[in-house]
Amino acid sequence: MAALFVWLEGTRLAITVRDSLTLTGALSAVHLVGFTLTTGGALVANLNLLGVLFPGRPPIEVTRPASRGIALGLTISALTGFLLFAPRATVASVNGIFQTKMLLLVAAVLFHTVVHQRVARVATSSSMRRGTAAVGLLLWTSLALAGCAYILLE
Amino acid sequence: MPQQNVMTLYQMFEWLEATSLGVLVRESAWGFPILVAFHLMGIMLSVGTLVWFDLRLLGVSMTGVRASLMYRRLMPWMFTGFAIMFISGFMLLAGFATNAYGNVYFRVKIIAMVLAAVNAFLYHRFTERRIVQWDDAPGPPTAARMAGLVSISVWMTVILAGRMMSYTMF
Repeated sequence: MAALFVWLEGTRLAITVRDSLTLTGALSAVHLVGFTLTTGGALVANLNLLGVLFPGRPPIEVTRPASRGIALGLTISALTGFLLFAPRATVASVNGIFQTKMLLLVAAVLFHTVVHQRVARVATSSSMRRGTAAVGLLLWTSLALAGCAYILLE
Repeated sequence: MPQQNVMTLYQMFEWLEATSLGVLVRESAWGFPILVAFHLMGIMLSVGTLVWFDLRLLGVSMTGVRASLMYRRLMPWMFTGFAIMFISGFMLLAGFATNAYGNVYFRVKIIAMVLAAVNAFLYHRFTERRIVQWDDAPGPPTAARMAGLVSISVWMTVILAGRMMSYTMF
């Protein structure tokens, strides 16, 4: 894996990003736009599942469009994130905050896809819905905090 | 000749930077990163939720929910996020006001925020007044769609310009 990251850092793509502060800034800006879409979608889906937004409606009516927003945001963030990662792959890959961020990302996406969407789709008890929403909110908020920490403490 | 006592904008920024708040933000080891973290979380909370109301105005998402209900339910989250964003943003500005003054992205960000405020004012003053006519409609009128489109565009510009400031100010 380490050899792969060394190779990635030496690619023309990585060098182009590393040599341009404006390009790095622009990628970081678009990365934040994508992440705002993701967290916004996650927040709306989980607050609704918690029962504080539109309690009279089936949760899936909100979870479905919110999940599309999360997917769009994640696509934007992943593409720009990869381009930002490429020039510093060897350093970032061993950074504890970056590793935490990636773990939380995988956990949040898996939880949303496997648990949240299922709970929102089928009729479950309100305690099940609230518990799922609480875990979802915790995961997405932790991910956002890890993202902020990586920007600031890298 | 009467003495001119009016401060220029740059002088105001110099004064702001010299206040104890400005000094604290600039010189504290943790003040800056904590404020930036609050600022980013505020943006995610405010713009992240506002986008869903804008998409409803555009008629492209959650069209089964009444527009007025959507606004009412999302408003506390949006406004909490905006409060966090504006307070932390002002404190960050206090720390680096003169640097921000000459930064083109800061100017773009401020212009976009003014446009966002004007757009919100026009929506609430005129378009929302007739909301009973289109509240349930999956496709809101052109004025509401325009308000949603402008809102998304200017807030995305605020985020993009704000992030670019970090790469061009220091």
